[in-house]
Amino acid sequence: MTRHVVCRVDELPEGGRRIVDLGGRSIGVFRVDGRYYAVRNVCPHMGAPLCLGTIGGTMLPSEPHTYVYGLENRILRCPWHGYEFDLETGRPPFGTFPLRVRTYPVRVEGEELVVEA
Amino acid sequence: MKAMERAEVRRAGATGVLTVDCDVHPHFKQGLKDLLPYLPSGWRRRLGVGLESSWSGDVYASRFSLPRNVMYINPVGALRRDSYPSDGSIPGSDPAYVREQLLEGAGVDRAILLGGDVFGLGALPDPDLAATVASAYNDWLTERWLEFDDRFRGALVVAPQDPALAAREIDRVAGRPGMVEVMLPLTNVLMGDRHYYPIYEAAERNGLPIGCHVNSVDGVFVKGPQLAGGVFTYYTEWHAALTEVYHANVISLVCQGVFERFPGLKVVIAEGGFAWLPDVLWRLDRNYQALRDEVPWLKRLPSQYVFDHIRFTTQPMPEPARPEHLATLCEVIDAGRTLLFSSDYPHWDFDHPAMALNRLPEAIRDRVRGENAAELFGDRL
Repeated sequence: MTRHVVCRVDELPEGGRRIVDLGGRSIGVFRVDGRYYAVRNVCPHMGAPLCLGTIGGTMLPSEPHTYVYGLENRILRCPWHGYEFDLETGRPPFGTFPLRVRTYPVRVEGEELVVEA
Repeated sequence: MKAMERAEVRRAGATGVLTVDCDVHPHFKQGLKDLLPYLPSGWRRRLGVGLESSWSGDVYASRFSLPRNVMYINPVGALRRDSYPSDGSIPGSDPAYVREQLLEGAGVDRAILLGGDVFGLGALPDPDLAATVASAYNDWLTERWLEFDDRFRGALVVAPQDPALAAREIDRVAGRPGMVEVMLPLTNVLMGDRHYYPIYEAAERNGLPIGCHVNSVDGVFVKGPQLAGGVFTYYTEWHAALTEVYHANVISLVCQGVFERFPGLKVVIAEGGFAWLPDVLWRLDRNYQALRDEVPWLKRLPSQYVFDHIRFTTQPMPEPARPEHLATLCEVIDAGRTLLFSSDYPHWDFDHPAMALNRLPEAIRDRVRGENAAELFGDRL
């Protein structure tokens, strides 16, 4: 793992995202609800630029014919096929199928946003 | 063939696994007249099954008959030519001859009886008529077949039009010795629809799987299951396409969450084929990864619900030119859990157990011969 300075903290406002090249890998860095996430910008399904997808919530497991929405701002949906990944784990929510996208630790060091990748 | 049949009987005995035939058809000798003793007098009069003329004259529907395929003519006939009893009556109508030819002759230890004349009940427009015929059939099945030989097992039939009546019929009949399944004739409403839930609830409550079978009326009657794409010209086209109905119903059962709502429910698809199943499983599983939040009540991959809850009978066994293709198919559909042997006796496309089972990979032969059926039907078998 190598320490990379992505940008100054004030360059990634709330709700913002940056797609950066870190050591030859395309990685998306997000700030959502005051938290930072870094995700490999390649969907493990078919190689789509995953980090261009939308961030939102999803339907929670429910009783038949009912809908319960939740996990707002935790789910990244691939722009191609809509596959869902939990920003925290890189896995589909609720363990429904065995794909995983790589996630990386992000931290604030003074004025700088740092990713270990 | 005789020598092989005897060898097969011995082999079944040697492994201790019963040969369970999950699709055998009892037929009426004289159409609905067989049900006369079991029909209330008002309905006898209404149907004119005593052969007195009904009010409607001599041409159009002057005599009632149950819905069945009346459009596509099978050039080899719908019934095995060697299965007519010596008195010339309809194949499958004489329990003694079925015992002789199928149980003794082909080495079948248990025969699950699915009424060969009531597949099409779902196409009837009158729910009360359909329910009345179903009840009469169940009483006929009990007296004429289940009490005749203790190797016969019954699928009680329900009329799908009125699910409350159907549930009541299940409760009325399910406890009879030898009843192992509920046969649900299909309509143009898919099986995942909540219309059927009282029937599923009653089946689950009574510990019986729901069985469905090619309905004979598929694509023929408006209220029966419809075939995709359009209307065929020839029997061979129609027959090849009948499995479409089960693509649709498997998808519907899974996606509507029927197995989440009724976790104890099992479904048996008889004569609906299974070589189409990989495509349905793969499409459903792929869709699930993208579209899960439309059906968030599905907690697992759709294929897992199929493997846990749905069983498929073998006849007509696929006959690919290269046997390894059948082996691969069996692997994809987890046939060691999902397949049940069936012969379809006495219909024209009958599969002999020795011939059909020997086409399967040896490792799953006994599973298909009877072990899967034993797990499905439990003590009732």
